[in-house]
Amino acid sequence: MAYPGGPPGGYQQYPGGAPPPQYGAPPPGGQPGYAGGYQQPGYGGQPGYGAAPGYGAPPGYGPPPGVDPNVYQWFLSVDRDRSGKISAQELQQALTNSNWSHFNEETCRLMIGMFDRDQSGQIDLNEFQALWTYIQQWKGVFDRYDQDRSGLIEAHELHTAFSQMGYNVSQSFINIIVIKFDRAARRGLKFDDFIQCCVMLKNLTDQFRARDTAMTGRIQVSYEDFMCMVLLNKPS
Amino acid sequence: MAYAHQGYGQPQVDQNFLWQIFGRVDADRSGAISAKELQTALSNGTWTPFNPETVRLMIGMFDRDNSGTINFQEFQSLWKYITDWQNTFRSYDRDNSGTIDKNELKSALTSFGFNLSDRFYEILLRKYDRMGRASLSFDDFIQCCVVVQTLTGSFQQFDTNRNGWIDISYEQFLTLVFSLKS
Repeated sequence: MAYPGGPPGGYQQYPGGAPPPQYGAPPPGGQPGYAGGYQQPGYGGQPGYGAAPGYGAPPGYGPPPGVDPNVYQWFLSVDRDRSGKISAQELQQALTNSNWSHFNEETCRLMIGMFDRDQSGQIDLNEFQALWTYIQQWKGVFDRYDQDRSGLIEAHELHTAFSQMGYNVSQSFINIIVIKFDRAARRGLKFDDFIQCCVMLKNLTDQFRARDTAMTGRIQVSYEDFMCMVLLNKPS
Repeated sequence: MAYAHQGYGQPQVDQNFLWQIFGRVDADRSGAISAKELQTALSNGTWTPFNPETVRLMIGMFDRDNSGTINFQEFQSLWKYITDWQNTFRSYDRDNSGTIDKNELKSALTSFGFNLSDRFYEILLRKYDRMGRASLSFDDFIQCCVVVQTLTGSFQQFDTNRNGWIDISYEQFLTLVFSLKS
């Protein structure tokens, strides 16, 4: 590995820096009522499916006040080590795409990062409830754009989705995204990839817009500001 | 790959010695090292598993035939890469704590030629410190340095007049970030 050849002379230090990414924003157009209570086999485990065998929550031992009983049951079954907290790994085991594949690690980390308010790297029951609602809303968005019900968002569906969400991007950019996320060479994005991709696009667009004050679609960025923008929003 | 600070040459590593190591790492005797085997073989100085991102990064760098695994030929370059990083890590871990704190990270990256503010080092540390100890273990240190280098390279492609500022369109920016491999 070669370190930067020659001094990167002239890279000025940037005093201001980038604002932190806006995490936890709801999915675009996540209409209440559309996703809520919308049960799909295979998506994100089923609420009310019961606790894992042997978990032994005694009957009548209900969820804490304010927590949906179904969410509580699901939390218990995901929290395999019974620590009272869910790690990215436990979450990954619990979330599945429509083809029963597990969610990818990056999407799980992304979501844990969004809802982990106490920065513990894990999520507790209350944080989990918010995450659960978030995933259900995304499922609603995914189904709305998966018009052929293939379980994948293909390039043309992604184009429709992005333009309806208000992102003005070219077909060639869409193709780059599909190639990047299309791990299984199926020309489409699975549910987890779709979430990851939309969250990244939102964060990057927010970062860009904050600097594009004249709304020209171009920005001038310094070295360090660029590093912050990308570091906090790139995959992994 | 020369590190200015090392001040001594790398001794030639014996092929037989490397072959023995390769055999030990290749636990299933398939003749090639998988990401899982590499992760198991590497230590970050704590008893926690080696950072899987760093493993993926390194396999991606040395897997020249795109097989997803490392053969003996590729292993020889990988071995040198890892030992070079070990030497770098040790030389910047001034207090021999086994981890790189913010000041040590800053002096390492500054000597590699990067000019970044204290505030940026705080952001870096928060991002790559998986243990929450405000310092980086060996595996996280590698990942952190490689990412800084990759992002700087992306910036430099646009900074054609080398003044530390770039002019970039919305879609160029999105494409750049979505195309990053590390």
